[in-house]
Parts: sequence; structure tokens; C-alpha cells
Amino acid sequence: MNCREALDHVYEFLDRELTPDVEREVREHLEACKPCGHHFDFEEAFLKFLQARCRTRSAPADLKRRILNDLFGE
Amino acid sequence: MTTPPQSPPPVDEKRAGFEREALVHLDALYRVALRLTGNPADADDLVQETMLKAYRAWHQYQQGTNAKGWLLTILRHAFINEYRRRTRHPETVDLDAIEPFAVLDERQDDDPQGQFFDRIVDDEVLRAIDALPEQFREAVVLSDVEGMSYEEVARILDVPIGTVKSRLFRGRRLLQAKLYEYAVSMGYIQGNRT
Repeated sequence: MNCREALDHVYEFLDRELTPDVEREVREHLEACKPCGHHFDFEEAFLKFLQARCRTRSAPADLKRRILNDLFGE
Repeated sequence: MTTPPQSPPPVDEKRAGFEREALVHLDALYRVALRLTGNPADADDLVQETMLKAYRAWHQYQQGTNAKGWLLTILRHAFINEYRRRTRHPETVDLDAIEPFAVLDERQDDDPQGQFFDRIVDDEVLRAIDALPEQFREAVVLSDVEGMSYEEVARILDVPIGTVKSRLFRGRRLLQAKLYEYAVSMGYIQGNRT
């Protein structure tokens, strides 16, 4: 696998969406290629940042009450 | 004359199942609704309507399967049919023409770990997501905010998995570029692009 192919797979690799065979090929490439390793590290940091910032918000407290009222007349 | 206190009704099976499998996803539905509609009032209404529709169609849901995906599909249809027309205009941009640059190329010399991201506040991140073209925004929200698999995202959006991959790729790169530009404009980092 060359750099271009590895970089095309960066998100699938980080999302754990590759087949085991392709995942192993990417991993082997990363072990041998430092620049691609940096690129993957950067993208991984970005995805973690994104998830940490966006997954925290919850629904307003009275929304559940209104839904229960809608559905069950409570 | 006072009426004797009524004994509580026996726990309704449908209700118990709905509470156990559907209502637990309220936060997820709200987060997605907020990003689709762009404002809390419409997000509230959209989630309420989704739950009502889901409860009416509860017999069609197979208990123990992916309730979150099923609910998000209902939510998205409700959004497209009733909200999108008045909250946002359908996209007219040519999505294929969008070629976001890779932020790493700009940052690899002085910040290869992308530490500048940490200085960006939550609200700015959400604003940047909201500014994405809708097709990219949906994919990013379902995948990055809700942690759904490509297959689940494909099913909810009713597109092939390859389309999910391509929308995620470009959506994430666009988001990076927006956040990078923001960080430069705030003076967090020195921009290389002029």
C-alpha cells in the first residue's frame, strides 16, 4: 500500500470500518512511513476533539415531561 | 361525596417497552434535531413529533433491534417533510465542487498534533457544524456526534455506504478548514494561507 492509498483510508481506519485485511495493510504502511503516521495522528486528534465537544449536550428537562404528557396524558 | 382513590392502572406493556427502548434515546434525538433545525425551539418540536410518530408506529418496531436508528430515521423524515422548508433552504451548492484543503498541510511544521483545536470553544464547534452543507452535516452529526457506524448512517440517510464515506470525508475536512480559519481569525495561530 502506498501513501495515497493509506491516506484515502484514514477515516475508515480511525472509524474501525475497514476489513481486517485492509486494516492490516494500512497498519503496516504506518509503521514504515512516518509522514503518514503524523497525518493519521492529526486526524485522530481532530476526531477525538470533535466527539468530546459535541456529545455532551442533553435534552431540556421539560421536554421529556411534555412528551410523557403527549403520549400518556401525564 | 368523595370518589375513592383509583388504583393505578396495570403497567401497560406498550408503554413500558417504549420507555425502555425509545425514550432512553431522547438526548441523542435532541442533539441531532438541534443540528438539523439550527434552533432549540424547532428541535423541541421535532423531537416531540418524532416521539409521537414513533409511539403510534411502535408495533412496526422490532423489539431489541436498533431503536436509535429507527427513531433517527423517523426524525429525519419528519424534518425533511415539515421543517426543512421553513427553517433552512435546500442546498443549491454543487457539493462535488467543494474541495476542502487538509489543515494538517498548514500545521505540520509547528503543530503536528493539532493542539490549536483545544483552544476553540464548544459553541464555535457547533456553529461550524451548523454551517456545513446539509448532506455533510447529517453524516458528521450521525457519525461523530452520535457515534453510529457507516452502515447505520447509510440506513438512516437511505444512501449507499460509499456515499456516507465520501460525505464524511468532505464534511470533516470542511469542518477542519472552518475551525482552522476561525483559530487564525482569533489569533490562536498564525495562518500560512493568504
